Amino acid sequence: MLKAAAGADQAQVTVTISDASYARFARNYVVQNLGAVATQITLTYYVGKRSGSISTDETSPASMARTVARARAIALRVPPDSGFVSLPKPGAIAPARRSYYDATADATPDDRVEKLLPLFARMNASQLSSSGFTTTQINTVAVANSLGVRAAFTGTMSGLQLKAMAEQTSGFAEFYSPDYSRLDPQALAERAATKATLSRVPATFAPGNVTVLLEPSAFAAALKALTEGMGADDVLEEKDSWMVGRIGHRLFSPNVTLRDDWSHPLFANPPFNPQDGVPTEKLTLIDSGVVKHFVSNTYSANKYHVANTGHPNFPANGIVEPGTKSRDALLASIERGVLISRTWYERVVDPRQATITGITRDGVYLIENGKLTKTLKNFRYFVSMIDAFKNIEFSNTQVLTEPDDDTGYSSVLPDAKIANYHLAAQTSFA
Amino acid sequence: MNQYAAAAARILDTAGTSGAQYADVQFWTLRQEDVGVRNGDVRNASDTSSAGYGVRVLVDGSWGFFGSDRFDDASFDAAAARATAIAKSGTKVSGRIPAVVPVEKIVAHYETPMTKDPASVSLSARADLLLSAERTGHVAKNVISGYAFMTIYTTVKEFYSTTGSVIAQTLRQAGAGCGVSALGRDQDVQTRGGPGDFGLYQGGGYEVVERANLHARMPEYGREAVILADAPALPSGTRDLILDGSVLNLLMHESIGHALELDRALGWEANFSGVSWATPDQVGKLRFGSPLLNIHADNALPLGLATVGFDDEGVKPERVPLIEDGILRAFLSSRDTAAQTNLPQTASIRAQDWASVPIVRMTNIELAPHEGTLASIVADTKDGLYVAGIRSWSIDDHRLNFQFGPQIGYEIKNGKRGRIYKQPTFTGVSPHFWGSLDRVAGPEEFVVWGTPNCGKGEPEQAGRTTHACSHARFRGATVGVKTGA
Repeated sequence: MLKAAAGADQAQVTVTISDASYARFARNYVVQNLGAVATQITLTYYVGKRSGSISTDETSPASMARTVARARAIALRVPPDSGFVSLPKPGAIAPARRSYYDATADATPDDRVEKLLPLFARMNASQLSSSGFTTTQINTVAVANSLGVRAAFTGTMSGLQLKAMAEQTSGFAEFYSPDYSRLDPQALAERAATKATLSRVPATFAPGNVTVLLEPSAFAAALKALTEGMGADDVLEEKDSWMVGRIGHRLFSPNVTLRDDWSHPLFANPPFNPQDGVPTEKLTLIDSGVVKHFVSNTYSANKYHVANTGHPNFPANGIVEPGTKSRDALLASIERGVLISRTWYERVVDPRQATITGITRDGVYLIENGKLTKTLKNFRYFVSMIDAFKNIEFSNTQVLTEPDDDTGYSSVLPDAKIANYHLAAQTSFA
Repeated sequence: MNQYAAAAARILDTAGTSGAQYADVQFWTLRQEDVGVRNGDVRNASDTSSAGYGVRVLVDGSWGFFGSDRFDDASFDAAAARATAIAKSGTKVSGRIPAVVPVEKIVAHYETPMTKDPASVSLSARADLLLSAERTGHVAKNVISGYAFMTIYTTVKEFYSTTGSVIAQTLRQAGAGCGVSALGRDQDVQTRGGPGDFGLYQGGGYEVVERANLHARMPEYGREAVILADAPALPSGTRDLILDGSVLNLLMHESIGHALELDRALGWEANFSGVSWATPDQVGKLRFGSPLLNIHADNALPLGLATVGFDDEGVKPERVPLIEDGILRAFLSSRDTAAQTNLPQTASIRAQDWASVPIVRMTNIELAPHEGTLASIVADTKDGLYVAGIRSWSIDDHRLNFQFGPQIGYEIKNGKRGRIYKQPTFTGVSPHFWGSLDRVAGPEEFVVWGTPNCGKGEPEQAGRTTHACSHARFRGATVGVKTGA
C-alpha cells in the first residue's frame, strides 16, 4: 500500500485484524452466540498539510490502488490542517511481552459453552438467574509509514463477566486474561452467588458522605474521570482538563501513584501507539500524589512542542500501584461504610474538577465493623475525583479490568477505599 | 441488484448440510464519509467503507451467528460452518427457551428517499461549508475553541434466507453539528453546541446537512458560550422545567426507548445494558406518565434515522403505540422476544454491521405533539427554568432514576426568559417525572431527532435511533444537584 502511495509527501497505513467470539447468556442459558473475523486497512495520504483517509476491508491489489486514488483525491480537495507537522520517524520499539496464548486462540464454541455449564449449575442450585458473557479474541494491529515506521503486534484476550440475580438482589464477578486457561468459572460463580444471596431484601441507607470500598470495576470508572483528561489535547488545546495549572502540584494522597506501562505482566498490550507506531514511553503520571505528566501523540507533540509519549490521547496502559493491606484488611478497617461492586452510566459533569455522576449496580453492600452485613439499594453518587483521591487507600492486590467501552483499553487496578464519598440519593431497587 | 445471490445460495446450502434447520445471510456494504473542522483547520476528512456478511443459523432452537469480510468460496463455507457449530454449542444447555423458526418468504426492495444526493456535493464544498460556519462562532476573545462536522452514511444490504426471502435495501442517513467553547474569568470552560443533543441526524441525503443550518446556529452558540463561561451555577431547588427538544429527545431515548426494549425486560441485557422497571405483564395497566404522554414506535417514520423497509431478520415495520394516554401498551421487539410474551412485533432487531449479531433496538420512537409553541409554553410559566443542549446524562440500569446536565438554563419569571445559569442539572424518577408532564408543544415545532451511536450489546454495538418530539414542560422538577464535597 505504501508503495502504491509513493506519490504522497507522506503516508501512513494501519491494519487491524480481529477474530472474536462471544457466548452471551441470560436466565442460565445462551441467548446470543457469535463470532466474526474482520480486517480494516486505513491509509492516510498527505499532500503538504492536507490529508485524506480511506478505510476499507478490501485487500486485493486492485482495491489498494483504488484506496490510494481515493485518499489522494480527498487530500487534494480539503483545506490544510495548520496543526499537522509530520508523521513520526522510526523509533526503537521494545519487544512485546508474551501476548498470544493458544488456549485463547484455539478455543471452540463448545469450549466457551462448557466453561458456562458449571456456572449455570451453581446458579440453578441457588435458584439464581445469571446474565453475562464469555469471550475469546485474537487481535492484530500493524502500522507503517513512508518515513520508515514499522510496528506490529498480535495478542489474545479472554474474559467472563457474570451477574447473578436473586429476586431483589444481585452479585457481580468478572475476570480477564490473555490466557483463557486461567479463567475459573466455578470460582466466579461462587463469588457472584455469595454476594447475590447476602440478603433477600435490599435495605435502605441514608445518603450522604460515607467511606466506600470500590472494587476494581467500580474504581476503573472513577479513575476514568482523571485519565480521560490526561491527553495533551485536553490540557493544551481544549483547556478543560483537571490537569490545567496543576502539573507539579501535590494534589492527591501520597498513596496515589498512577503509572502507564504496557509491559505490566497482566497486560497484553502493544509497546507502541497503535494510531501511529511510535514507541510507548513508560511514564509515572501521578507520583505519590504529585501530578507529573500528561500523554501525547505525534500530532499533539508536534503542534504544542512537547515530548511525544507514544500514546493515544489518554493513558492506554494505566496501573494504579497497590497499597500494603489486603482487601480483607481494608474491609476490616471500615467501621461503617458501603462496598460498591460496579457502576453505570458515569458521566463527567465538571471536567476541571473531575466531577462525575453515576449510579451503582449489580451489588452494593453495607459494611459494619469490617464485615458485609446487608445488601443495599443502589445509589446515585456525585463526586469530585480531585477530592476523592485526597483520601484514598488501596489494597495490595491488582486485577486486569474490563476493556473500556470508549477506548477499548484495560487498566490494572487494586480495590480502593475512599473516605467522604458523596452518595447523593438512593434508588428504590437493588 | 442482488449481486450476492450465488454466494448466498452457497452459504445457505452449507449451513443446511451442516445441520441448520433455518439460516439467513445478510450482505452489507457500508460507507461513512466524515469531515470535521476545529479552530479553522480541517482535522478529519475520511471515507470509511467495509463489505461483509453475517450468517445466522438456527439449530434445535439455538441461534449461532458468524460474520466475515472474506469473499471466496472457502470463506463462505467456513462462515456457514462456524455459525452452525456456534448454534450447536448452545444446545448443550438444558432449560433454554427455543427460538422461533421463521417461515415467511419476502421478496422486496427498499430505498431511503432523498432530495439531494451527497455525491453532488464535492468534498471541498463540504469542508468550505464547515469552515465558514465554524468561523462565525468565534464571537469574542474568550472563545477558545469551535468545531463543526458532517457525516454521510450509505448502507446497502441484501438479505437471503432458507425460506426464500430476498430483500434488498439501500439506506441513507446524514448528520451535522457544531459548537463553541469559551473560557470564563475563573478559567471555567463552558461549551454550547448542537443542534439537538449532538447534532441533527436524520434519514436522507445531503439535505439533512443543509437542514442542520450550522451558519445560523454557530453565532448564537458562540454568544451563549461566552455568557455561560461567567454565569452562575444553577441553585438547587424545585422548579417547573421546560425541556427544549434537544434535551427532551435524549430523555425519551434514555428513559422511555431503552425502558421499552423487550430484550431488557426479559433479562437478556441484564449484565450490560440493564433491565427495565417496566415489564410485559404490566401492558395495559402501568401508568408510565401523564395523559399527554403518547409514544409510538414507527420504523417507517419519514426522516427517521432508523427507518428501514425491513429489519435485520426480514420483518416489515408497522406503526405500534407503545404508550397511549400515559398507559403502557407495547414494547420494542424482535420475532423471538415478541413470541415469548405474545406482544406485537415492531421490527426492531438491528445489527451495527455485518460483523454484529442483530439485537433488539429502540429504532424510531416519537412523542406525539400536542399544542402551542415553545414561546407560548414559556409565556405560560410563572416561575420556571428552560434548558437546552446536552452536556452530561446518566440513568440507572433499570431506566428509572436519571440525572441530566443540559448546557444552558434560562430562568423563567412571569412568562419571560431571565438570567442564564450554567450546569442546570435536573433529576427524576421516570414515572413521577413523566407523570408531571403538563405541556407538549405542537406539530409546528416537532423535529425528528436522531442519535447515531447508541451503545448496546456485548460486544458493544453502535445503533442509530430516533426520538422525534417537540418541546415539553414538567411541573415541580428537582434541579441544581450539587456534590457533597
